[in-house]
Amino acid sequence: MSAVLSVHDLRKSYAETRALDGVSFEVRRHEVVGLIGENGAGKSTLLKMLVGLVQPDSGRIELRGRAVKMRGIGQAGAAGIGMVFQEQSLIPNITVAENILLAAEGGAVRGGVYRWSDLKRRAQVQLDKIGSGIRPDAITETLSFADRQFVEIAKVLATEERTNAEPVVLLDEPTSVLDRDETEILFAQIERLRTRASVVFVSHRLDEVLRVSDRVYVLRNGRTVAECTPGEVDEAALRRLMIGRDLEGSHYGEEDQRPPGDAVRLAVRGLTVRGVCEGVDFDVHAGEVLGIAGVQGSGREEVCRALFGARGVKSGTIELDGKTVRPRAPRAAIARGFGFVPAERRSEGMVGTMSVAENMTLPHIGEVCAGPVLRRGLERRLAETWIERLRIKTPSAAAPIGALSGGNQQKAVLARWLVSDGLRVLILDHPTRGLDVGAKGEVYRLIRELTASGVAVLLMADSLEELIAMSHRVLVMKDGRVTDTIDAAPGEKPAPLEILERMI
Amino acid sequence: MTPARSVLAAPETGRATPRIRPRSTLLADLGPTIALVVLCAVFAALSPQFATWGNIRNILDSAAVLAVIAVGLTFVLMLGAIDLSIEGVMAAAALCVALLVANTRNDNDFGFLAIVAATALGACFGLASGLLSTGLKIPSFMTTLGVSAIGIGVATVLFGGVQPSITSPGVAEWASGQWFGLTRLTFVAVAVVVVGVLIERYTRMGRYARAIGGAEEIAYLSGVPVRRVKVLAFAFAGATYAIAGIMVTIQLGSGIVQAGVGQNFAAITAAVVGGTLLSGGRGGVLHSIVGVMIVTVLVNGLVLIGVSPYVQRAVQGVIVVVAVAITAWPLRARMRVVK
Amino acid sequence: MYVSEKTGTLPRVAGASRLTPAARRRLLLMAMPGAVLTVLVAAIALANPHFLRPASVWTLLDSAVPILILATGAMLVILCGGIVLSVAALASLASVLVALWVPALGGAVVPVVVLLCALAGLAQGAIHVVAQIPSFLVTLGGMAVWAGLALVISGAATIGVSGTTLDWTFTRIGDAGIPSAVLIGAALVLVVAALLQFTPLRRWLVAIGSSESAALMAGVPVAKTKMAVFALSGACAGFAGVMLVGRTFSGAPSLADSLLLPVVAAIVVGGTAITGGFGGIGRTVIGVLIITVLRVGLSVAGVDSSYEQIFYGVLVIGAVALTIDRSKLPFVK
Repeated sequence: MSAVLSVHDLRKSYAETRALDGVSFEVRRHEVVGLIGENGAGKSTLLKMLVGLVQPDSGRIELRGRAVKMRGIGQAGAAGIGMVFQEQSLIPNITVAENILLAAEGGAVRGGVYRWSDLKRRAQVQLDKIGSGIRPDAITETLSFADRQFVEIAKVLATEERTNAEPVVLLDEPTSVLDRDETEILFAQIERLRTRASVVFVSHRLDEVLRVSDRVYVLRNGRTVAECTPGEVDEAALRRLMIGRDLEGSHYGEEDQRPPGDAVRLAVRGLTVRGVCEGVDFDVHAGEVLGIAGVQGSGREEVCRALFGARGVKSGTIELDGKTVRPRAPRAAIARGFGFVPAERRSEGMVGTMSVAENMTLPHIGEVCAGPVLRRGLERRLAETWIERLRIKTPSAAAPIGALSGGNQQKAVLARWLVSDGLRVLILDHPTRGLDVGAKGEVYRLIRELTASGVAVLLMADSLEELIAMSHRVLVMKDGRVTDTIDAAPGEKPAPLEILERMI
Repeated sequence: MTPARSVLAAPETGRATPRIRPRSTLLADLGPTIALVVLCAVFAALSPQFATWGNIRNILDSAAVLAVIAVGLTFVLMLGAIDLSIEGVMAAAALCVALLVANTRNDNDFGFLAIVAATALGACFGLASGLLSTGLKIPSFMTTLGVSAIGIGVATVLFGGVQPSITSPGVAEWASGQWFGLTRLTFVAVAVVVVGVLIERYTRMGRYARAIGGAEEIAYLSGVPVRRVKVLAFAFAGATYAIAGIMVTIQLGSGIVQAGVGQNFAAITAAVVGGTLLSGGRGGVLHSIVGVMIVTVLVNGLVLIGVSPYVQRAVQGVIVVVAVAITAWPLRARMRVVK
Repeated sequence: MYVSEKTGTLPRVAGASRLTPAARRRLLLMAMPGAVLTVLVAAIALANPHFLRPASVWTLLDSAVPILILATGAMLVILCGGIVLSVAALASLASVLVALWVPALGGAVVPVVVLLCALAGLAQGAIHVVAQIPSFLVTLGGMAVWAGLALVISGAATIGVSGTTLDWTFTRIGDAGIPSAVLIGAALVLVVAALLQFTPLRRWLVAIGSSESAALMAGVPVAKTKMAVFALSGACAGFAGVMLVGRTFSGAPSLADSLLLPVVAAIVVGGTAITGGFGGIGRTVIGVLIITVLRVGLSVAGVDSSYEQIFYGVLVIGAVALTIDRSKLPFVK
């Protein structure tokens, strides 16, 4: 059977990261192909590339035997590829019919004038293909998640009439918003789809992928590392393929990991954030690194933001060194001794137009002020001290931080929490994302030093290997709850597989 | 058969991230109408003159100009943009028409063509607003502020220090003549409203404007010609402002630069109060018209019970802020950035 | 559906030409205003040599002061990414209050009115921050409220002012005949400049204006700072009202209304980005000078003053178009 869709050696780099490093796969007619991989393995970049939201640096996409360049959802739809997005891509305040036929109404809109009965009829045709009872004149936002997903599928199927060819349907984590019943309905839809389209099914729920797919591709570090059929492999085997061995050979400095103190620095009990997580309990000791593992949607990022006051807490207590705290805003948390290095450095971690020194002194401006007066000389000297201590490569303390390389930016952002002595808990949200190997090593070293001085660290990372190597203990979260806490003392580190099992 | 789930049902995954919840638009649709009814009841109770036929005709007549403006503004608001050029466009159109029909300043006597020309002028201003906003990628409030100044400037230049008074008998007829007890201009307003509703419901510009206001990024990526829709919406709005300016000129019998004073604010207030939110994608022409009625009844009622007419503007200012605050209140979030 | 990549924005091409759009914009913002002012002054001086005589220079500067005061306050808000459309209307209200209360309060009317206007500004800022309503909307409403109040309080009439209480705002000092207003304006500029230079205020405003999320996450007191600059802009509006009464010997409900556009134009033309995060008092002074010189230049060139509004409109649109940071507005509404 010839391939309907095939990609060859797709590559894509962002600054210092390689999001895709040579991905090749193919989808054949009336086939369901599963695509799995860890966070950061490249799944969403790949899907976005297939509908033209992202352009590849190199490599080829072939649709029905012809090389194509995707430029956007509209154009991809015209070519016959449609994606059902994880975070829905319907326009909420218009009717289902309008969404299904958006910008492709055909004869239903003539001379700029809408013929509603014709529009509804055409939409109904698509809805019938998936056997859904949704009314075409319903306003989209009044539908449930599951129904909206079906509308999205109908929207993708509408390309059939446009191209007179069977569409390729990309499903991006479709079950992550569905309950059990709705998931069964979705699987039934996929079976129907199989008769008239080809499907790519991306998910981190391995049992579902094995159940639904004809073949499965495994992505790791931006590369397709394996292709298998569900009959040949089981979930355990898939997980092994997902983790593999880190070929980078980063040195995590495990031998420098010292045991934590006895004092409990941070005690969290029953933390509940509405719609995100429930009843989260954990302790972090002075000098300890607690790694938090979980897939997207597990709630781990929100827990950390709640601790920092960046997210409202519905119930639960947070105790810092024995005293209850309820930070209403990051500013309050900072005053108590919290620090936070966000994952999105450019939008949340630093102010790109301000200088290195200004960024460094922002949270604890009091350190360089005498009353209301800013002491610039003092600030410069302070910044220079840290620039030297952390080996930050910058022309001067006054250089705009946006001009530095990613690694140096991150070091400067880290330094801002070290400027004052009062740091007690440092939360690191994917601190080595986008950094080269050398910079990563320096960040690891810094984290080890911090713990030596009694700071408690909460760490989230994309790579399980990094998380395990850096942590004293690993907290695993899934679907908003803590499922396990695993010890990770040096020399007795758990295998990534163990953690992955509890995450998914 | 999957009936639309109730607003309160949440997914049973015991899991996290709340996605877009199913919503009902019932309150938003009925609220303003209920408010209008309540307002009328209150004024009827407070003032015996309020509920008379004479006063009701008064209300309808005074709502006419604002209604026409609101129709055009609705499409701009639907996009999620804002239009601050109303006063400028009205002024320019007012002077334009005053100088083209039979008047005291020159020998022109173009009659109906003058109205067409002034309307076209308004559309051109709107076109400029749309093209500049989308082409130069400037926020619409900035562009329309500039266009308003240009409009006032054009009107001032045309005014040239000597007020053009209209001498055309046809125009005088329209100013004072009545059909069924209402001024002719009121029927013009009704016609504009009907056209607005039809455009909103049955044309690409209307439907796509709503889609763009709902989720512009998605619309754009899906292939909706966003730029074209925006420019058209602004141009149409400009035309309606011009028509309103012409109406004011007919009422006054002369062209003045202040033809549109206070209208920008009143129109925004009317639209927002009626349910056509500034965030875009909500409400519609009829919603805005309900808002126009609320604003007009409020002004009328306040005058009847003896409140100074100067308070109007201040009251409108408070109402608009309160109305937006009410609709924006549920959206408040800790780390939300609002400029 | 999100289009932004988690690893950040698109890559910089390593080692390529440094003139990225952002750098180009910055260059424009830095160099152009000064260059424009120089060219304008030179051009007018060529057309009319009397222009550079000390007497005309002082008169020109004197006429620029009310706009300068308004622009200084407004610039602080714009720097953090907001907008105050209500400054002119508030100044008009202030003029009405001053004219009304001068007989009763004498010289004390100045601090009283300035304080009231500061509170008015604070109220707007508080609504913006607490209800999370866009500042342009709050100040649009504010504009109507202040205008309405001014109309009611004054009975829609101009209120004349007699006596010498406010003479200090509009007199000449010394043999050189330096206008007192210029000295007052200069003093205000120096005070604000000191505030920006010697306290953390400037970097907080820049942080909030260029990246409010990052500012929040770094513990910048965003709410308090915003409310403070709204209050300051109100105080400036009040003070501008005082100055206007001093020179027109009257207070009127729409005395300052026509100043909104020149103020915005001055700020933007001077090189303060309307999106926030870039700008300052020096730029605002240059912008005010450009606007004022332009006005003088237009009359020297024999252009009717009725064309002024058109120029302001075009200027504002053009300046914003050149200086706006488009990367911050992915979908411009």
